[in-house]
Amino acid sequence: MVKITIDEKQFEVENNLTIIQAARQNGIHIPHFCWHPKLSVSGNCRVCLVEVEKMPKLVIACATQVTDGMIIQTNSGRVVKARNAVLEFILINHPLDCPICDEAGECKLQDYAYKYSVGESRFEFDKVRKPKRVELGPNVMLDTERCIMCSRCIRFCDEIVNKPQLVFTQRGDHVELTTFQGQKLDNDYSMNVIDLCPVGALTSKDFRFKARVWDMSATDSVCVGCSRGCNTKMWVRNNEILRLTPRFNSSVNQYWMCDHGRLNSFKNVNAANRVNAPMFRKDGMLIDVGWDEAMARATSELKSFKKNEIAAFGSAHSTNEDNYLLAKLMNHMGVHRIDFVPHIEDAKQDSLLIKADKTPNSTGARLVGIKSDTDEYSYRAIIDDIRNGKIKALYVLDDDIAVVPEIAEVLPKLEFLVIHASNENQTMKYADVVFASSTYAEKHGTFTNFEGRVQKNKPAVSTLEHDRVLDGMPLSRLDRFGAHNDRWTKGIKRDTRASWRIINSIAAILGAKWKYNKCEDVFNEIASTNSSFYGLTYENIGVTGAMIQKSQEQVTVRS
Amino acid sequence: MSEFNEKLLLPNIPDLHKIEVYEQNNGYSGLRKAIGMTADAVIDEVKKSNLKGRGGAGFPTGLKWSFMPKQSAKPKYLCANGDEGEPGTFKDRQIFGFNPHLFIEGSLIAAYAMGIKAVYVYIRGEYVKWIKILQQAIDEAYSKNYIGKNILGSQFSTDVYIVRGAGAYICGEESSLMNSIEGERGYPRVKPPFPAQVGLWGCPTTINNIETLANVPLIILRGAEWYSQIGVPKHPGTLLFGVSGHVKKPGVYELPTGSLLTDIIFKHAGGVRDDKKIKAVIPGGSSTKWILGGELDGVKMDADSLKAYDTSIGTGGVIVMDEDTDVIKVLARLTHFYHHESCGQCTPCREGCGWMEKILNRFIAGEARIEDVDLLLNVANNIEGNTVCALGDAAAWPVQSVIKKFRGEFEKRVKKISSEKKYVPPPHLISV
Ligand SMILES: Cc1cc2nc3c(=O)[nH]c(=O)nc-3n(C[C@H](O)[C@H](O)[C@H](O)COP(=O)(O)O)c2cc1C
Ligand code: SF4
Ligand code: SF4
Repeated sequence: MVKITIDEKQFEVENNLTIIQAARQNGIHIPHFCWHPKLSVSGNCRVCLVEVEKMPKLVIACATQVTDGMIIQTNSGRVVKARNAVLEFILINHPLDCPICDEAGECKLQDYAYKYSVGESRFEFDKVRKPKRVELGPNVMLDTERCIMCSRCIRFCDEIVNKPQLVFTQRGDHVELTTFQGQKLDNDYSMNVIDLCPVGALTSKDFRFKARVWDMSATDSVCVGCSRGCNTKMWVRNNEILRLTPRFNSSVNQYWMCDHGRLNSFKNVNAANRVNAPMFRKDGMLIDVGWDEAMARATSELKSFKKNEIAAFGSAHSTNEDNYLLAKLMNHMGVHRIDFVPHIEDAKQDSLLIKADKTPNSTGARLVGIKSDTDEYSYRAIIDDIRNGKIKALYVLDDDIAVVPEIAEVLPKLEFLVIHASNENQTMKYADVVFASSTYAEKHGTFTNFEGRVQKNKPAVSTLEHDRVLDGMPLSRLDRFGAHNDRWTKGIKRDTRASWRIINSIAAILGAKWKYNKCEDVFNEIASTNSSFYGLTYENIGVTGAMIQKSQEQVTVRS
Repeated sequence: MSEFNEKLLLPNIPDLHKIEVYEQNNGYSGLRKAIGMTADAVIDEVKKSNLKGRGGAGFPTGLKWSFMPKQSAKPKYLCANGDEGEPGTFKDRQIFGFNPHLFIEGSLIAAYAMGIKAVYVYIRGEYVKWIKILQQAIDEAYSKNYIGKNILGSQFSTDVYIVRGAGAYICGEESSLMNSIEGERGYPRVKPPFPAQVGLWGCPTTINNIETLANVPLIILRGAEWYSQIGVPKHPGTLLFGVSGHVKKPGVYELPTGSLLTDIIFKHAGGVRDDKKIKAVIPGGSSTKWILGGELDGVKMDADSLKAYDTSIGTGGVIVMDEDTDVIKVLARLTHFYHHESCGQCTPCREGCGWMEKILNRFIAGEARIEDVDLLLNVANNIEGNTVCALGDAAAWPVQSVIKKFRGEFEKRVKKISSEKKYVPPPHLISV
């Protein structure tokens, strides 16, 4: 440990830290562009210049180690002048096109220019021209003129993904970011460079020009693309998710997420094929009905089968709470054939984040009781028994099980199929009752990731179940200040329900004595009755999740 | 100071680049002697000699060598810097051309002293002719076992390789030189760590200029005591002064440190063309601050003496400008060089060099305003000291010094308009 002084305040810090790290640990922000906690130090932007007593020149806080007795000034006259000079330099060849730039509102350059520079340029010449609208790869666009040459994106590809796909070419004020000749920026994590880029040089092909940052609300969420459970922010405008960005969690995903999760785990929420109301089959057609009708039909049909003629599939896509209540309902009905269908893609995994299990909650589904007795592969036995006619009725939680060919093959044999579905899917073709369920973006709930970390989700998109303001959902500027006649404030609100709530109602009809008002109550019951979850409460899971009481075999995901 | 007329680096001996001729003239006896000493004793001798680096910064060579770890699990390297990119500098190529073995011998002694496994000689790519001569000399030295395995029957082995640069001034900066050898982009590295800890391929490395290393054999052969008496004690030895510009006999002149600048120009380089007056002299390559023609009397060419004139010895490249010189044009041309050569890694140099060039072009076009003088100076001040490497400083210093010494010329070039009128750049100044 060493004693240092930053801006007249004394701190004791570890001695292998740089000034910027030591300051950060103590809540002092030293402005920086190129430095990033998880990337190597490049020391090139020069915005983090600080004054250190007894050192003749200003030093860069990102590359200078603290020493005992070091006296650091981050706001002395010299520092303020130098920082202003650096910002003026960065801006002389910058296009200053904030009004049309996606980054505006979350741009480090914009923020620093307001905060640390005099806000006036003495540069009166033509700026250096560089290529605009460069497609670096399938997901990322580059505006070379906005680039401030911080090299974060290059270092990310080199150091984190181990796919060196970006380089600088040319020299001086003609330096340009580009891909290696004949190559594309197409690694599985390419879109993280968009978040890393402190300016609007790198933008998302999927999101660009869709919304101003301040017109969206940001809700903490968890990606459902695989069993890693990367922490995310879900950006919503007009009750529609427009993008996902990674949210820092040192135990799960650091600052990153994969492109697949970012692009493909939310589009279904506002898709045209949403199931907007419950349905049942009449004269061979699925028709929209009311909730009560659908429930009545489902319960009366289920009652007509013997216990051993019924089976259920939980879902590794669904939350712990959904699965727990399904297991509890089946238990109440005396049904013991219950499992879920795994979705493992061994070819699609890596050592950074991407897991082979393409569902967010296999671990949790198994732990809360979605498995029959001890048979590891009981879902196969269920399929066999559908095929040979022993099982006649099937209850399926949110999972398009018919995408598995051997399942699609046996579904026509069922006499009764009830499913929860948020979107039209293959399984619906065979269903007799369809409950319109909320997606993970529209409900509360928890997932248990591959290593047993329980993480919370909350609604980012509102359904008829909740109200953005009354239920304390994150608000955008539009949500706060938009007028009712403002077209932006009118989003579709669907009549869908969280699966655990649907099961709750069915259980009541079937005479169960239990009832839950909040998702939280379901989780807390799990935690108090299931040894794996002992010690956890909905509250103490927190924003970064909490580990279950795990033993290795409990969390090993079968393949 | 006693007259010292001996040429140590470039003696007038025909065919000295041939190994037999070199050997007949005491060649490689410095190496032989060094191998008979302990490595530490060799470093001590170089320390005692007070030899200062000839690459521009004038760092004490023995001290630099002593920074190398004695024990190292990783191999250690020496990079001999023959990039010679500094405008006004053309001395190292004379060593390659006329006395390559002296440099090779110096490198080998350095390698012995620091326990170095391989010497990389980084030479600017344009020096095709000199690269050939040096390669020939290296091959000869291999064939006589001065380089290679168990050199001269000792336990000491080392290899010498030539690496050709690809035309970037910045690759003469020691850390980008190492990146360049590694095949990386020629970006200077942030220091610390210093090369002696983390250098070429992450291994302990020392970088020395070609001329620096060429001084070493005689220091070992004749002793530090003898060497330290030559020229100025704090900065001893001879320097290869490359004289260019408006002189009658431009060329490389080997003279002891502390020589009078006027002697170099008038006695050796034959005086000014057409016997004109001198307007200004750049004493040590384009990155050093200028000396006015009127200040030349008594200026001695060594590190300490030049400090008194707020400039430095640099590479010893003396650039003479006569009374007709348009100093603003010269400055604009130099600034163009730095703008063109800035690697673009760090903000102040990348953006500032181009900005300074644009302002200077405005003076040349007669479109500048009076405020532009201070603007230019302020841009230079904002670059200086705030960059990753010294190229930024090198770009700022000439600007600062020319404004200081020739402010009047700038003011004369200002457009005679009211300063309120908005400046509109003429079409030829619109850069692409
Ligand atoms: C932009 C720049 C260019 C340089 N170019 C050269 C060069 O061409 N040759 C050289 O010997 N040193 C050059 N140097 C200095 C080297 O970084 C280094 O200080 C020198 O090679 C060390 O050798 P010495 O200690 O023997 O002087 C340059 C420095 C800078 C900042
Ligand atoms: S594109 Fe963005 S992240 Fe990459 S170097 Fe430029 S400013 Fe930095
Ligand atoms: S000072 Fe100039 S040359 Fe040196 S690292 Fe910075 S941009 Fe590159």
